[in-house]
Amino acid sequence: MAVIATRSLTRRFGNITALDRLTVELPPGGVIGLVGPNGSGKSTLIRTLLGLIRPTSGEADVLGHPIAQPKRYASSVGTMIESPAFIGGLSARANLTSLAHLHGTPMARVDEVLGQVGLLGRDREPVRRFSLGMKQRLGIAVALLTDPDLLILDEPTNGLDPAGIVEIRELLRRLAHDGRTVVVSSHLLSELEAICTYLVIIRFGELVFAGPMTELLARTGAHIDFAPERPEDADPLADALRAAGWQVQSTDSGLRATGTGRAADVNRAATAAGITLARLGEAQDSLEELFLEMTGRTDGELAAGRATGRREAD
Amino acid sequence: MLHVVRSELTRLGQLRTLLVWFGLMAVFAFMINAVMASVVGQAGAGGLPTPGVAFPTRQELEAPSGVMAGLSAASNMFGIVTLSLWAWFTAQDYSSGLIRLLVAAEPRRWRLLAGKGAALLLVTAVATTVAAAANLMAAPIVGASGISTAAWGTDAASVVAAAWAHLYLSQVVWGVLGLAIAVVSRSAVVAVAIGAGYVLLVESMLKMANGVPSDWLLGSTLNAIASGGTASVSFSAALALGAAYVIVGLMLAGIVLTRRDVTD
Repeated sequence: MAVIATRSLTRRFGNITALDRLTVELPPGGVIGLVGPNGSGKSTLIRTLLGLIRPTSGEADVLGHPIAQPKRYASSVGTMIESPAFIGGLSARANLTSLAHLHGTPMARVDEVLGQVGLLGRDREPVRRFSLGMKQRLGIAVALLTDPDLLILDEPTNGLDPAGIVEIRELLRRLAHDGRTVVVSSHLLSELEAICTYLVIIRFGELVFAGPMTELLARTGAHIDFAPERPEDADPLADALRAAGWQVQSTDSGLRATGTGRAADVNRAATAAGITLARLGEAQDSLEELFLEMTGRTDGELAAGRATGRREAD
Repeated sequence: MLHVVRSELTRLGQLRTLLVWFGLMAVFAFMINAVMASVVGQAGAGGLPTPGVAFPTRQELEAPSGVMAGLSAASNMFGIVTLSLWAWFTAQDYSSGLIRLLVAAEPRRWRLLAGKGAALLLVTAVATTVAAAANLMAAPIVGASGISTAAWGTDAASVVAAAWAHLYLSQVVWGVLGLAIAVVSRSAVVAVAIGAGYVLLVESMLKMANGVPSDWLLGSTLNAIASGGTASVSFSAALALGAAYVIVGLMLAGIVLTRRDVTD
Protein backbone atom coordinates (compact mmCIF):
# COMPACT_ATOMS: atom_id res chain seq x y z
CA MET A 1 0.00 0.00 0.00
CA ALA A 2 1.25 3.48 -0.86
CA VAL A 3 1.93 5.67 2.18
CA ILE A 4 0.76 8.66 0.19
CA ALA A 5 -1.41 8.58 -2.92
CA THR A 6 -2.80 11.59 -4.74
CA ARG A 7 -5.29 11.55 -7.60
CA SER A 8 -5.62 14.68 -9.75
CA LEU A 9 -4.89 16.77 -6.67
CA THR A 10 -5.32 20.43 -7.52
CA ARG A 11 -5.00 23.55 -5.43
CA ARG A 12 -5.39 27.05 -6.78
CA PHE A 13 -4.67 30.34 -5.00
CA GLY A 14 -6.47 32.90 -7.13
CA ASN A 15 -4.82 32.77 -10.55
CA ILE A 16 -1.92 30.65 -9.35
CA THR A 17 -2.20 26.90 -9.67
CA ALA A 18 0.04 25.54 -6.93
CA LEU A 19 -0.90 21.90 -7.50
CA ASP A 20 -2.02 20.92 -10.95
CA ARG A 21 -3.84 17.57 -11.22
CA LEU A 22 -1.02 15.87 -9.35
CA THR A 23 -1.25 12.11 -9.37
CA VAL A 24 1.49 10.23 -7.57
CA GLU A 25 1.98 7.25 -5.26
CA LEU A 26 4.78 7.02 -2.70
CA PRO A 27 5.86 3.54 -1.63
CA PRO A 28 6.43 2.64 2.03
CA GLY A 29 9.90 2.56 3.56
CA GLY A 30 13.12 4.46 2.99
CA VAL A 31 13.77 8.13 2.44
CA ILE A 32 11.61 9.68 -0.25
CA GLY A 33 12.75 12.97 -1.72
CA LEU A 34 10.18 15.53 -2.78
CA VAL A 35 12.14 17.88 -4.97
CA GLY A 36 11.30 20.92 -7.02
CA PRO A 37 12.39 24.52 -7.45
CA ASN A 38 11.08 27.22 -5.13
CA GLY A 39 7.39 27.75 -5.82
CA SER A 40 6.96 24.34 -7.43
CA GLY A 41 4.19 23.32 -5.01
CA LYS A 42 6.09 21.15 -2.51
CA SER A 43 4.90 23.00 0.58
CA THR A 44 1.36 23.23 -0.75
CA LEU A 45 1.36 19.48 -1.32
CA ILE A 46 2.63 18.82 2.22
CA ARG A 47 0.12 21.20 3.78
CA THR A 48 -2.69 19.65 1.79
CA LEU A 49 -1.68 16.16 2.90
CA LEU A 50 -1.64 17.30 6.53
CA GLY A 51 -5.07 18.92 6.38
CA LEU A 52 -3.76 22.45 6.81
CA ILE A 53 -5.21 23.56 3.48
CA ARG A 54 -8.00 22.06 1.45
CA PRO A 55 -7.58 21.01 -2.16
CA THR A 56 -9.55 22.79 -4.84
CA SER A 57 -10.26 19.41 -6.43
CA GLY A 58 -8.92 15.89 -6.52
CA GLU A 59 -8.30 13.36 -3.79
CA ALA A 60 -5.46 12.05 -1.70
CA ASP A 61 -4.85 9.38 0.92
CA VAL A 62 -2.26 9.31 3.67
CA LEU A 63 -1.55 5.88 5.18
CA GLY A 64 -4.73 4.71 3.50
CA HIS A 65 -6.96 7.39 5.00
CA PRO A 66 -8.52 10.20 2.94
CA ILE A 67 -7.14 13.66 3.61
CA ALA A 68 -10.68 14.86 4.29
CA GLN A 69 -10.34 13.00 7.62
CA PRO A 70 -6.87 13.95 8.88
CA LYS A 71 -7.72 12.95 12.46
CA ARG A 72 -7.49 9.30 11.35
CA TYR A 73 -3.80 9.56 10.57
CA ALA A 74 -2.67 12.61 12.58
CA SER A 75 -0.95 10.57 15.28
CA SER A 76 0.76 8.30 12.73
CA VAL A 77 2.39 11.15 10.85
CA GLY A 78 5.20 13.29 12.26
CA THR A 79 5.74 16.63 10.60
CA MET A 80 8.05 19.56 10.35
CA ILE A 81 6.54 22.16 8.10
CA GLU A 82 8.94 24.82 6.79
CA SER A 83 10.89 26.31 9.69
CA PRO A 84 10.61 24.70 13.12
CA ALA A 85 7.93 26.45 15.19
CA PHE A 86 8.38 26.95 18.89
CA ILE A 87 7.66 29.36 21.73
CA GLY A 88 11.06 31.00 22.14
CA GLY A 89 10.58 31.84 25.80
CA LEU A 90 9.91 28.23 26.73
CA SER A 91 12.56 25.56 27.10
CA ALA A 92 12.93 22.80 24.53
CA ARG A 93 11.48 20.40 27.07
CA ALA A 94 8.44 22.62 27.77
CA ASN A 95 7.80 23.03 24.04
CA LEU A 96 7.96 19.27 23.57
CA THR A 97 5.84 18.64 26.67
CA SER A 98 3.15 20.96 25.37
CA LEU A 99 2.98 19.08 22.07
CA ALA A 100 3.21 15.71 23.84
CA HIS A 101 0.13 16.67 25.87
CA LEU A 102 -1.64 17.62 22.64
CA HIS A 103 -0.88 14.23 21.12
CA GLY A 104 -1.66 12.41 24.35
CA THR A 105 1.87 10.98 24.29
CA PRO A 106 3.46 9.65 27.52
CA MET A 107 5.98 12.09 28.98
CA ALA A 108 8.72 9.45 28.89
CA ARG A 109 8.68 9.87 25.12
CA VAL A 110 9.92 13.45 25.52
CA ASP A 111 13.21 12.18 26.94
CA GLU A 112 13.46 9.53 24.24
CA VAL A 113 13.13 11.95 21.34
CA LEU A 114 15.44 14.48 23.00
CA GLY A 115 18.00 11.71 23.19
CA GLN A 116 17.37 10.66 19.58
CA VAL A 117 18.18 14.12 18.27
CA GLY A 118 21.03 14.71 20.71
CA LEU A 119 19.46 17.54 22.70
CA LEU A 120 19.44 15.97 26.16
CA GLY A 121 21.49 18.26 28.34
CA ARG A 122 20.36 21.39 26.51
CA ASP A 123 16.65 20.71 26.91
CA ARG A 124 16.08 23.13 29.78
CA GLU A 125 17.41 26.14 27.88
CA PRO A 126 14.98 28.56 26.26
CA VAL A 127 14.59 27.76 22.58
CA ARG A 128 15.37 31.37 21.69
CA ARG A 129 19.00 30.66 22.62
CA PHE A 130 19.22 27.71 20.24
CA SER A 131 21.18 27.80 17.01
CA LEU A 132 19.30 27.10 13.78
CA GLY A 133 20.70 23.58 13.69
CA MET A 134 19.47 22.88 17.24
CA LYS A 135 16.05 24.23 16.34
CA GLN A 136 15.95 21.96 13.30
CA ARG A 137 16.85 19.00 15.49
CA LEU A 138 14.17 20.00 17.98
CA GLY A 139 11.73 20.24 15.06
CA ILE A 140 12.57 16.66 14.15
CA ALA A 141 12.14 15.66 17.80
CA VAL A 142 8.62 17.08 17.66
CA ALA A 143 7.96 15.08 14.51
CA LEU A 144 9.13 11.93 16.30
CA LEU A 145 7.00 12.44 19.42
CA THR A 146 4.26 10.00 18.47
CA ASP A 147 6.75 7.44 17.11
CA PRO A 148 5.07 7.84 13.71
CA ASP A 149 5.11 5.47 10.76
CA LEU A 150 5.48 8.36 8.36
CA LEU A 151 7.64 11.46 8.74
CA ILE A 152 7.04 14.44 6.47
CA LEU A 153 9.78 17.03 6.77
CA ASP A 154 9.63 20.21 4.76
CA GLU A 155 13.14 21.47 3.95
CA PRO A 156 14.72 20.17 7.17
CA THR A 157 18.20 21.32 6.16
CA ASN A 158 17.16 24.84 5.27
CA GLY A 159 19.67 27.37 6.53
CA LEU A 160 22.06 24.80 7.99
CA ASP A 161 25.82 24.85 7.53
CA PRO A 162 27.45 21.87 5.76
CA ALA A 163 28.16 20.09 9.06
CA GLY A 164 24.55 20.55 10.12
CA ILE A 165 23.32 19.22 6.77
CA VAL A 166 25.45 16.09 7.13
CA GLU A 167 24.18 15.64 10.69
CA ILE A 168 20.52 15.87 9.64
CA ARG A 169 21.14 13.53 6.71
CA GLU A 170 22.57 10.93 9.03
CA LEU A 171 19.62 11.32 11.36
CA LEU A 172 17.14 10.86 8.50
CA ARG A 173 19.02 7.82 7.28
CA ARG A 174 18.86 6.32 10.78
CA LEU A 175 15.14 7.04 11.07
CA ALA A 176 14.44 5.33 7.76
CA HIS A 177 16.64 2.43 8.80
CA ASP A 178 14.38 1.98 11.84
CA GLY A 179 11.53 1.13 9.48
CA ARG A 180 9.83 4.49 8.99
CA THR A 181 8.99 6.17 5.74
CA VAL A 182 10.66 9.57 5.68
CA VAL A 183 9.45 12.09 3.11
CA VAL A 184 11.83 15.02 2.81
CA SER A 185 11.32 18.03 0.62
CA SER A 186 14.06 20.22 -0.78
CA HIS A 187 14.61 22.55 -3.67
CA LEU A 188 18.08 21.07 -4.15
CA LEU A 189 18.43 17.55 -5.47
CA SER A 190 22.05 17.54 -4.34
CA GLU A 191 20.89 17.69 -0.73
CA LEU A 192 18.85 14.53 -1.10
CA GLU A 193 20.56 12.36 -3.71
CA ALA A 194 22.87 10.84 -1.11
CA ILE A 195 20.07 9.54 1.11
CA CYS A 196 16.97 9.07 -1.07
CA THR A 197 15.74 5.72 -2.23
CA TYR A 198 12.78 7.15 -4.12
CA LEU A 199 12.33 10.53 -5.72
CA VAL A 200 9.39 12.72 -6.70
CA ILE A 201 10.15 15.79 -8.78
CA ILE A 202 7.48 18.42 -9.30
CA ARG A 203 7.44 21.66 -11.21
CA PHE A 204 4.59 24.18 -11.44
CA GLY A 205 2.60 21.76 -9.29
CA GLU A 206 2.86 19.05 -11.94
CA LEU A 207 4.61 15.72 -11.65
CA VAL A 208 7.87 15.61 -13.58
CA PHE A 209 9.28 12.35 -12.27
CA ALA A 210 8.41 9.72 -9.69
CA GLY A 211 10.42 6.59 -9.27
CA PRO A 212 13.34 4.89 -7.57
CA MET A 213 16.54 6.87 -7.40
CA THR A 214 18.21 4.20 -9.52
CA GLU A 215 15.75 4.88 -12.32
CA LEU A 216 16.69 8.54 -12.36
CA LEU A 217 20.38 7.68 -12.24
CA ALA A 218 19.87 5.42 -15.27
CA ARG A 219 18.63 8.44 -17.18
CA THR A 220 21.93 10.20 -16.76
CA GLY A 221 24.08 9.40 -19.80
CA ALA A 222 27.63 9.98 -20.92
CA HIS A 223 28.57 12.85 -23.17
CA ILE A 224 31.70 13.96 -24.96
CA ASP A 225 33.06 17.45 -24.53
CA PHE A 226 35.47 18.70 -27.19
CA ALA A 227 36.71 21.84 -28.91
CA PRO A 228 38.34 22.38 -32.31
CA GLU A 229 41.72 24.06 -32.39
CA ARG A 230 40.33 26.87 -34.53
CA PRO A 231 36.99 28.30 -33.30
CA GLU A 232 35.74 28.77 -36.88
CA ASP A 233 35.82 25.00 -37.31
CA ALA A 234 33.12 24.51 -34.68
CA ASP A 235 30.15 24.76 -37.04
CA PRO A 236 31.51 22.46 -39.81
CA LEU A 237 32.56 19.94 -37.13
CA ALA A 238 29.11 20.02 -35.53
CA ASP A 239 27.49 19.52 -38.96
CA ALA A 240 29.78 16.59 -39.72
CA LEU A 241 28.94 14.89 -36.42
CA ARG A 242 25.21 15.49 -36.81
CA ALA A 243 25.42 13.90 -40.24
CA ALA A 244 26.99 10.89 -38.51
CA GLY A 245 24.03 10.61 -36.12
CA TRP A 246 25.35 12.53 -33.09
CA GLN A 247 23.40 15.13 -31.15
CA VAL A 248 25.63 18.19 -30.86
CA GLN A 249 25.18 21.37 -28.87
CA SER A 250 27.35 24.34 -28.08
CA THR A 251 28.67 24.88 -24.57
CA ASP A 252 30.58 27.70 -22.94
CA SER A 253 33.89 25.97 -23.66
CA GLY A 254 33.21 24.30 -27.01
CA LEU A 255 30.88 21.53 -28.15
CA ARG A 256 29.09 18.63 -26.46
CA ALA A 257 28.10 15.48 -28.33
CA THR A 258 25.79 12.76 -27.12
CA GLY A 259 25.22 9.52 -28.94
CA THR A 260 26.14 5.88 -28.96
CA GLY A 261 29.79 6.34 -29.92
CA ARG A 262 32.93 7.06 -27.92
CA ALA A 263 35.42 9.91 -27.88
CA ALA A 264 37.57 8.10 -30.46
CA ASP A 265 34.66 8.20 -32.94
CA VAL A 266 34.41 11.99 -32.51
CA ASN A 267 38.16 12.26 -33.04
CA ARG A 268 37.93 10.16 -36.23
CA ALA A 269 35.06 12.29 -37.58
CA ALA A 270 37.02 15.47 -36.90
CA THR A 271 40.12 14.07 -38.60
CA ALA A 272 38.04 12.98 -41.60
CA ALA A 273 36.75 16.56 -41.87
CA GLY A 274 40.30 17.89 -41.69
CA ILE A 275 39.76 19.47 -38.27
CA THR A 276 42.23 19.27 -35.41
CA LEU A 277 40.83 19.00 -31.90
CA ALA A 278 42.35 21.05 -29.08
CA ARG A 279 40.43 19.23 -26.38
CA LEU A 280 38.49 15.97 -26.16
CA GLY A 281 37.07 14.03 -23.23
CA GLU A 282 34.23 11.82 -22.03
CA ALA A 283 32.11 12.83 -19.03
CA GLN A 284 29.10 11.58 -17.13
CA ASP A 285 25.99 13.79 -16.81
CA SER A 286 25.42 14.79 -13.20
CA LEU A 287 22.12 14.22 -11.49
CA GLU A 288 21.91 17.94 -10.86
CA GLU A 289 22.24 18.58 -14.61
CA LEU A 290 19.38 16.21 -15.28
CA PHE A 291 17.32 17.84 -12.52
CA LEU A 292 17.89 21.27 -14.01
CA GLU A 293 16.93 19.97 -17.45
CA MET A 294 13.71 18.68 -15.95
CA THR A 295 12.79 21.67 -13.82
CA GLY A 296 14.40 24.71 -15.42
CA ARG A 297 17.77 26.27 -14.78
CA THR A 298 17.01 29.70 -13.43
CA ASP A 299 14.24 31.56 -11.69
CA GLY A 300 13.77 33.57 -14.89
CA GLU A 301 13.41 30.39 -16.89
CA LEU A 302 10.91 29.12 -14.37
CA ALA A 303 8.92 32.33 -14.46
CA ALA A 304 8.90 32.25 -18.26
CA GLY A 305 7.86 28.61 -18.21
CA ARG A 306 5.08 29.33 -15.79
CA ALA A 307 3.86 32.27 -17.89
CA THR A 308 3.96 30.13 -21.02
CA GLY A 309 2.11 27.38 -19.20
CA ARG A 310 -0.53 29.83 -18.15
CA ARG A 311 -0.93 31.23 -21.64
CA GLU A 312 -1.27 27.72 -22.96
CA ALA A 313 -3.79 26.97 -20.25
CA ASP A 314 -5.73 30.08 -21.26
CA MET B 1 -10.32 17.70 25.07
CA LEU B 2 -8.39 17.58 28.34
CA HIS B 3 -5.15 16.95 26.47
CA VAL B 4 -5.62 20.19 24.52
CA VAL B 5 -6.16 22.13 27.76
CA ARG B 6 -3.02 20.60 29.28
CA SER B 7 -1.06 21.46 26.16
CA GLU B 8 -2.27 25.06 26.28
CA LEU B 9 -1.56 25.37 30.01
CA THR B 10 2.01 24.23 29.43
CA ARG B 11 2.51 26.97 26.86
CA LEU B 12 0.73 29.52 29.05
CA GLY B 13 3.30 28.84 31.74
CA GLN B 14 5.68 31.43 30.36
CA LEU B 15 6.77 33.00 33.62
CA ARG B 16 7.64 36.42 32.24
CA THR B 17 4.32 36.86 30.47
CA LEU B 18 2.33 35.66 33.45
CA LEU B 19 4.23 38.06 35.69
CA VAL B 20 3.36 40.90 33.31
CA TRP B 21 -0.29 39.88 33.33
CA PHE B 22 -0.62 39.46 37.09
CA GLY B 23 1.63 42.44 37.74
CA LEU B 24 -0.51 44.74 35.63
CA MET B 25 -3.67 43.55 37.39
CA ALA B 26 -2.07 44.27 40.78
CA VAL B 27 -0.70 47.65 39.69
CA PHE B 28 -4.08 48.75 38.32
CA ALA B 29 -5.75 47.63 41.56
CA PHE B 30 -3.35 49.75 43.62
CA MET B 31 -3.56 52.69 41.23
CA ILE B 32 -7.35 52.78 41.10
CA ASN B 33 -7.62 52.76 44.89
CA ALA B 34 -5.11 55.58 45.19
CA VAL B 35 -6.81 57.65 42.50
CA MET B 36 -10.27 56.81 43.81
CA ALA B 37 -9.31 57.98 47.30
CA SER B 38 -8.19 61.27 45.87
CA VAL B 39 -10.99 61.85 43.35
CA VAL B 40 -13.98 60.62 45.37
CA GLY B 41 -12.59 61.97 48.64
CA GLN B 42 -12.40 65.47 47.16
CA ALA B 43 -15.23 65.56 44.60
CA GLY B 44 -17.49 63.30 46.58
CA ALA B 45 -19.35 62.08 43.53
CA GLY B 46 -18.85 59.45 40.85
CA GLY B 47 -19.50 59.55 37.17
CA LEU B 48 -16.50 61.67 36.27
CA PRO B 49 -15.89 61.42 32.53
CA THR B 50 -12.65 59.44 32.69
CA PRO B 51 -11.92 57.14 29.73
CA GLY B 52 -12.07 53.51 30.78
CA VAL B 53 -12.73 54.23 34.46
CA ALA B 54 -16.05 54.60 36.29
CA PHE B 55 -15.61 56.02 39.80
CA PRO B 56 -18.21 55.22 42.47
CA THR B 57 -20.02 57.86 44.49
CA ARG B 58 -18.90 58.54 48.06
CA GLN B 59 -22.06 56.82 49.27
CA GLU B 60 -21.24 53.70 47.23
CA LEU B 61 -17.68 53.73 48.48
CA GLU B 62 -18.77 53.92 52.11
CA ALA B 63 -21.18 50.98 51.70
CA PRO B 64 -20.11 47.42 52.74
CA SER B 65 -19.29 46.65 49.09
CA GLY B 66 -17.09 49.77 48.92
CA VAL B 67 -14.06 47.75 49.99
CA MET B 68 -14.06 46.11 46.56
CA ALA B 69 -15.17 49.18 44.59
CA GLY B 70 -11.76 49.48 43.02
CA LEU B 71 -12.34 46.32 41.00
CA SER B 72 -15.48 47.55 39.32
CA ALA B 73 -14.12 51.08 38.93
CA ALA B 74 -11.14 49.86 36.92
CA SER B 75 -12.84 46.86 35.34
CA ASN B 76 -12.32 48.19 31.82
CA MET B 77 -8.64 48.77 32.51
CA PHE B 78 -8.36 45.22 33.78
CA GLY B 79 -10.36 44.25 30.70
CA ILE B 80 -7.86 45.79 28.33
CA VAL B 81 -5.08 43.87 30.09
CA THR B 82 -7.08 40.65 29.82
CA LEU B 83 -7.97 41.27 26.18
CA SER B 84 -4.32 41.95 25.42
CA LEU B 85 -3.04 38.79 27.09
CA TRP B 86 -5.70 36.53 25.56
CA ALA B 87 -4.89 38.09 22.18
CA TRP B 88 -1.15 37.74 22.77
CA PHE B 89 -1.37 34.07 23.71
CA THR B 90 -3.61 33.41 20.70
CA ALA B 91 -1.65 35.39 18.14
CA GLN B 92 1.60 33.82 19.34
CA ASP B 93 0.51 30.54 17.74
CA TYR B 94 0.46 32.34 14.39
CA SER B 95 3.56 34.48 14.83
CA SER B 96 5.63 31.47 15.90
CA GLY B 97 4.21 29.21 13.19
CA LEU B 98 3.09 26.81 15.90
CA ILE B 99 -0.43 26.81 14.51
CA ARG B 100 0.81 24.47 11.74
CA LEU B 101 1.90 21.85 14.26
CA LEU B 102 -1.19 22.33 16.40
CA VAL B 103 -3.60 21.83 13.51
CA ALA B 104 -1.60 18.91 12.14
CA ALA B 105 -1.68 17.26 15.58
CA GLU B 106 -5.32 18.04 16.33
CA PRO B 107 -7.19 18.46 13.04
CA ARG B 108 -10.47 19.04 14.89
CA ARG B 109 -9.73 22.72 15.07
CA TRP B 110 -12.70 23.68 17.23
CA ARG B 111 -11.11 21.54 19.94
CA LEU B 112 -7.99 23.68 19.75
CA LEU B 113 -10.12 26.78 20.20
CA ALA B 114 -12.10 25.29 23.08
CA GLY B 115 -8.93 24.04 24.76
CA LYS B 116 -7.23 27.40 24.49
CA GLY B 117 -10.35 29.13 25.82
CA ALA B 118 -10.57 26.74 28.79
CA ALA B 119 -6.89 27.19 29.65
CA LEU B 120 -7.17 30.97 29.43
CA LEU B 121 -10.27 30.88 31.64
CA LEU B 122 -8.21 29.17 34.33
CA VAL B 123 -5.36 31.67 34.11
CA THR B 124 -7.84 34.56 34.05
CA ALA B 125 -9.31 33.22 37.29
CA VAL B 126 -5.85 33.47 38.86
CA ALA B 127 -5.35 36.97 37.42
CA THR B 128 -8.71 38.05 38.83
CA THR B 129 -7.71 36.66 42.23
CA VAL B 130 -4.46 38.62 42.05
CA ALA B 131 -6.45 41.79 41.28
CA ALA B 132 -8.86 41.11 44.13
CA ALA B 133 -6.03 40.45 46.58
CA ALA B 134 -4.19 43.59 45.48
CA ASN B 135 -7.39 45.57 45.84
CA LEU B 136 -7.86 44.35 49.41
CA MET B 137 -4.30 45.32 50.22
CA ALA B 138 -4.77 48.75 48.66
CA ALA B 139 -8.20 49.47 50.12
CA PRO B 140 -6.79 51.12 53.31
CA ILE B 141 -5.57 53.95 51.04
CA VAL B 142 -9.24 54.91 50.57
CA GLY B 143 -9.87 54.79 54.30
CA ALA B 144 -6.95 57.13 54.90
CA SER B 145 -8.49 59.80 52.67
CA GLY B 146 -11.33 60.62 55.04
CA ILE B 147 -13.91 58.25 53.59
CA SER B 148 -15.71 56.21 56.21
CA THR B 149 -14.89 52.52 56.07
CA ALA B 150 -16.96 51.54 59.11
CA ALA B 151 -19.34 49.39 57.05
CA TRP B 152 -16.62 47.55 55.14
CA GLY B 153 -16.43 44.56 57.43
CA THR B 154 -20.10 43.70 57.06
CA ASP B 155 -20.60 40.42 55.26
CA ALA B 156 -17.05 40.70 53.94
CA ALA B 157 -16.76 37.18 52.53
CA SER B 158 -19.80 37.46 50.29
CA VAL B 159 -18.80 41.00 49.25
CA VAL B 160 -15.36 39.79 48.17
CA ALA B 161 -16.77 36.66 46.48
CA ALA B 162 -19.37 38.67 44.55
CA ALA B 163 -16.82 41.28 43.49
CA TRP B 164 -14.45 38.54 42.32
CA ALA B 165 -17.21 36.77 40.36
CA HIS B 166 -18.45 39.96 38.76
CA LEU B 167 -14.96 41.03 37.73
CA TYR B 168 -14.18 37.54 36.47
CA LEU B 169 -17.29 37.43 34.28
CA SER B 170 -16.46 40.79 32.75
CA GLN B 171 -12.87 39.69 32.14
CA VAL B 172 -14.07 36.56 30.36
CA VAL B 173 -16.01 38.68 27.88
CA TRP B 174 -12.98 40.92 27.36
CA GLY B 175 -10.78 37.89 26.90
CA VAL B 176 -13.04 36.19 24.38
CA LEU B 177 -13.15 39.39 22.36
CA GLY B 178 -9.34 39.50 22.39
CA LEU B 179 -9.17 35.87 21.31
CA ALA B 180 -11.66 36.41 18.49
CA ILE B 181 -9.88 39.49 17.14
CA ALA B 182 -6.53 37.70 17.36
CA VAL B 183 -7.81 34.63 15.48
CA VAL B 184 -9.21 36.85 12.74
CA SER B 185 -6.27 39.25 12.51
CA ARG B 186 -3.57 36.75 13.58
CA SER B 187 -1.97 39.72 15.35
CA ALA B 188 -1.87 40.62 19.03
CA VAL B 189 -0.99 44.21 18.17
CA VAL B 190 -4.12 44.63 16.05
CA ALA B 191 -6.27 43.05 18.76
CA VAL B 192 -4.87 45.32 21.48
CA ALA B 193 -5.15 48.40 19.27
CA ILE B 194 -8.77 47.64 18.53
CA GLY B 195 -9.65 46.82 22.16
CA ALA B 196 -7.83 49.70 23.84
CA GLY B 197 -8.64 52.13 21.04
CA TYR B 198 -12.31 51.34 21.29
CA VAL B 199 -12.60 51.76 25.06
CA LEU B 200 -10.30 54.74 25.45
CA LEU B 201 -11.26 56.66 22.31
CA VAL B 202 -14.33 55.47 20.46
CA GLU B 203 -16.58 54.69 23.40
CA SER B 204 -15.48 57.78 25.31
CA MET B 205 -16.43 59.95 22.34
CA LEU B 206 -19.70 58.12 21.79
CA LYS B 207 -20.63 58.73 25.42
CA MET B 208 -20.29 62.45 24.87
CA ALA B 209 -22.50 62.38 21.79
CA ASN B 210 -26.25 63.01 22.11
CA GLY B 211 -28.67 60.24 21.22
CA VAL B 212 -26.19 57.39 21.69
CA PRO B 213 -27.44 54.71 24.14
CA SER B 214 -24.14 54.90 26.00
CA ASP B 215 -25.24 52.59 28.80
CA TRP B 216 -25.37 49.75 26.32
CA LEU B 217 -22.01 50.25 24.70
CA LEU B 218 -19.46 47.48 25.17
CA GLY B 219 -17.38 49.15 27.88
CA SER B 220 -20.42 50.27 29.84
CA THR B 221 -22.03 46.85 29.61
CA LEU B 222 -18.91 45.09 30.82
CA ASN B 223 -18.49 47.65 33.58
CA ALA B 224 -22.09 46.92 34.60
CA ILE B 225 -21.22 43.21 34.82
CA ALA B 226 -18.14 43.99 36.91
CA SER B 227 -20.22 46.23 39.19
CA GLY B 228 -22.99 43.67 39.63
CA GLY B 229 -25.33 45.99 37.75
CA THR B 230 -25.64 49.78 37.66
CA ALA B 231 -28.48 52.23 38.08
CA SER B 232 -29.18 52.21 34.36
CA VAL B 233 -28.29 48.60 33.42
CA SER B 234 -29.31 45.65 35.57
CA PHE B 235 -26.81 42.87 36.20
CA SER B 236 -28.95 40.30 34.38
CA ALA B 237 -29.36 42.53 31.33
CA ALA B 238 -25.63 43.26 31.24
CA LEU B 239 -24.85 39.59 31.67
CA ALA B 240 -27.17 38.65 28.81
CA LEU B 241 -25.52 41.18 26.53
CA GLY B 242 -22.08 40.01 27.67
CA ALA B 243 -23.07 36.43 26.89
CA ALA B 244 -24.16 37.56 23.45
CA TYR B 245 -20.72 39.14 22.90
CA VAL B 246 -19.09 35.87 23.98
CA ILE B 247 -21.25 33.79 21.65
CA VAL B 248 -20.63 36.09 18.69
CA GLY B 249 -16.90 36.21 19.46
CA LEU B 250 -16.57 32.44 19.78
CA MET B 251 -18.62 31.82 16.64
CA LEU B 252 -16.51 34.27 14.67
CA ALA B 253 -13.27 32.74 15.94
CA GLY B 254 -14.56 29.22 15.38
CA ILE B 255 -15.68 29.86 11.82
CA VAL B 256 -12.44 31.58 10.88
CA LEU B 257 -10.22 28.96 12.52
CA THR B 258 -12.01 25.97 11.07
CA ARG B 259 -12.47 27.32 7.56
CA ARG B 260 -9.34 29.29 6.86
CA ASP B 261 -6.30 27.62 5.36
CA VAL B 262 -3.24 27.44 7.60
CA THR B 263 -0.79 28.97 5.18
CA ASP B 264 1.75 30.64 7.47
